Amino acid sequence: MAKPLVIWLPVILLAAILVAPPASAQSDEFAMANKFYEDKDFGSAIRLYHSILDRGKESATLHFNLANAYFKSGDLGHAILYYTRAQRLAPADEDIAFNLDFAKQFSRVQMEGVQLNPIRTFFETLVRPYQLQQLGWITSVLLFILLGALTVRISLGHGTSWLRIITAVSLVILVAVGSLTTFKYRHDFLTPRAVIISEESPVYTGASEQSEIELNGAPGLVVEILSESDGFLNVLFENKRRGWIKTDLVARI
Amino acid sequence: MPVRIGNKKLFWLPTLFLVAVLVAPTAQAQDDVTVSVSLDRTSIGLDEQALLQVEVSGSSQDLPKPHIPSLPAFEIYSQGRSSNISIVNGVVSSSVTYRYLVIPRKPGEFPIDQIAVVHNNKRYKGNVVTLKVLSRGSSAPDDLNERAVDTEGESRDYFLEAVVDNKNPFVNEQVTLTLKFYIAVQYYGSLELTEPTTTGFWNEVLGNKAPYYQRINNRRYKVIERKYALFPTQTGELTIGRATIRATVAGKRKRSRDPFGAFGFDDFFGRGVEARTSSRSLRVNVRPIPQENRPSDFTGTIGRFNISAKANKRQVELNQPITLTIKISGTGNIKSVAEPALPELDEFRIYRASSAEEVSQQNDKLGGAKLFEEVFIPRVPGDLEIPGLSFNYFDPAQERFRTVTTQPIRIRVTAPEGYSSDSPVPYLPPGMTIDSRAHDIRHIKADLGKMQPVGRLPLLTVGFLSFNAVPILALVGSIMIRRRREKLAADTGLARARGAAKIARKRMAQARALARVETRGEFYAEIYRALTSYIADKLNTSPHGLTTTSIRQILNQRSTPEGLTDAVTGIITACDYARFAPASLLQSDIDQTLKDSEEVIIRMEEVKFG
Repeated sequence: MAKPLVIWLPVILLAAILVAPPASAQSDEFAMANKFYEDKDFGSAIRLYHSILDRGKESATLHFNLANAYFKSGDLGHAILYYTRAQRLAPADEDIAFNLDFAKQFSRVQMEGVQLNPIRTFFETLVRPYQLQQLGWITSVLLFILLGALTVRISLGHGTSWLRIITAVSLVILVAVGSLTTFKYRHDFLTPRAVIISEESPVYTGASEQSEIELNGAPGLVVEILSESDGFLNVLFENKRRGWIKTDLVARI
Repeated sequence: MPVRIGNKKLFWLPTLFLVAVLVAPTAQAQDDVTVSVSLDRTSIGLDEQALLQVEVSGSSQDLPKPHIPSLPAFEIYSQGRSSNISIVNGVVSSSVTYRYLVIPRKPGEFPIDQIAVVHNNKRYKGNVVTLKVLSRGSSAPDDLNERAVDTEGESRDYFLEAVVDNKNPFVNEQVTLTLKFYIAVQYYGSLELTEPTTTGFWNEVLGNKAPYYQRINNRRYKVIERKYALFPTQTGELTIGRATIRATVAGKRKRSRDPFGAFGFDDFFGRGVEARTSSRSLRVNVRPIPQENRPSDFTGTIGRFNISAKANKRQVELNQPITLTIKISGTGNIKSVAEPALPELDEFRIYRASSAEEVSQQNDKLGGAKLFEEVFIPRVPGDLEIPGLSFNYFDPAQERFRTVTTQPIRIRVTAPEGYSSDSPVPYLPPGMTIDSRAHDIRHIKADLGKMQPVGRLPLLTVGFLSFNAVPILALVGSIMIRRRREKLAADTGLARARGAAKIARKRMAQARALARVETRGEFYAEIYRALTSYIADKLNTSPHGLTTTSIRQILNQRSTPEGLTDAVTGIITACDYARFAPASLLQSDIDQTLKDSEEVIIRMEEVKFG
């Protein structure tokens, strides 16, 4: 029974390679989109960037260029959305951070009364320059060292002084870095966030248009999604004001 | 140049003047104090009492106490005070409400005026209120007299009345609903109120009023009031549902027949009964706001409002923000007050910063203030003007639309050193790190970079998971090995059984090395030892006691594969034979025995000796 599989495996692999668009095709399309951007044809550039994204692959640069094209075409909400997505993939990229801050200035509404949690801000500052992968790998290496030291201790049946030092130090650093990794994972991937993309974005006190308007949102405002009900999202703004906004007026990050 | 009067130099005159200007309170602070006088009722009986409230409010936190003039028609007693301080967008306002009990001395209609406060050497006078004192001893209207009597003509011990101040309001105009619980007997515990249904209204509870007494049909009732501000949200006939009160009251009054009842013994012995009474439902006919003369930018606000605007600075550098605070205050549904329309100004970039509202009530009317903060960034230097901002509302008392407008505000904008007319940087909120020289976003990148599946969780890769699995597996493995070692060390029988195959293989290796005709004696001896030691180790016994017969017996007692017993005993018999007649054995016999022995050792692993 194994024989036919062995025969067909190379054929399947070959077919997969032929059907999948080669990396060079994506690069050509990306270069063409950049050309449209240079020629100030931002609509065409946006379409081409999106066609690359629609194939299920992303990169920080792709999001960054797409955000730039949106910004230049005057769509602030989508610009901030894609800058934020780019920053999640490349948090240390200065160009992304700069353009995101620059774009935020143009938001019609500036959140007032934002009270930052000092502990949360401290953690955010610590993990901001790092990708989740980097923190994850550091945590894994520390886990490797800790478990390796424990394995040696168990195998030997006794612990030497240097083994004890390695175990203690790696455990302390592992707890610290592991906490940061968990925070980063929760902050970037577990907490659902969205960006307001619509020019008219009323935020209601309840999940219906008959409810009273709590405030008027504006394109580019980032919100945390608390829950969803009947086509409305219960959202929390940076200044801790909350309300209900129609689902189609925001885009999830 | 010093100023001279006579021979004295008046060096101090300019300094004293400056100090006087700084120390003296501003005109703004003086103008802020207001005195508002109100009565809870406009008509009372001669043996009843009314509550007079004097509210002093202003921006100062040290508000003066009002002076109550001597009124020959009344006795007035202080009932205490309550104060309130609020801070909205940094603007502090405070108010103190003084309450007085007013007891009439004679019938008639009496104005209560000349109530005033003195603040910063200025007198602020309150509004005039008038109290009508009825000579017949009861202020109750006829319908209330009827309500206080049941169908059998007997006086009710308690009843609940609902009244509205306006049965024909405009949409979004306040209607004040008052629930009045009249009770002439003792009640125990707290009252349990079921609120009335107010479908079609947005409602806000104004609160409970201090209880008072009222004489109806020559009987003294305690009156407990609760008020609501209702704002109709639709036109047409709306119904305010019935409210219900449940209470435990004293039993039916029998004072005339029971001499002890008059002394309160009924209450003392706790003859409480559950009582329940409901108000009547009310109908309100809501009128639409007229279309005639309606301004095009009218947003539906109804009430009576004022508007003011204040800039936090009058002189700024180019591209620096000025915060304009627009305050709309008055009576009406303050929550429905919309932001005034801002004009398009070429000289400014305008950003909406925030809005806040402060809801308050005055004489049972809901109102307050709504503050909007707008950030104006001047684009050009020079003397600029923020024009007057207008706000429209409908005044239900006058039944006409009104427009209020702020004063224009002049701003002087200076150009910074090295000013260039094409600087595009707008307002920088706190915390942003944009270089003030920045003109545009940073350019797109040419390198597509590393592509990855959209939305993939970065750490869910085979490499990462494997890397983490290795130390975990190593640790688990080392723990298992350690446990096995400890177990073997504690149980020598088990250790021998586990190590039997390993020792047998070693012996077989030695036998293989001796598998020659010249060393056939040693070869067969080694084969013999390998087999007997293997079985002895498995059984944790001595190999010396094992004979062909005993081995056959041992193997037969266990589930031995077919032919294995014969094969083992055959090899052992061959070994015995070789020891006594070694000369007859050829190399082929040696090789055959070696091969058979290796097979037997492998097959014996299947036998369960334990």
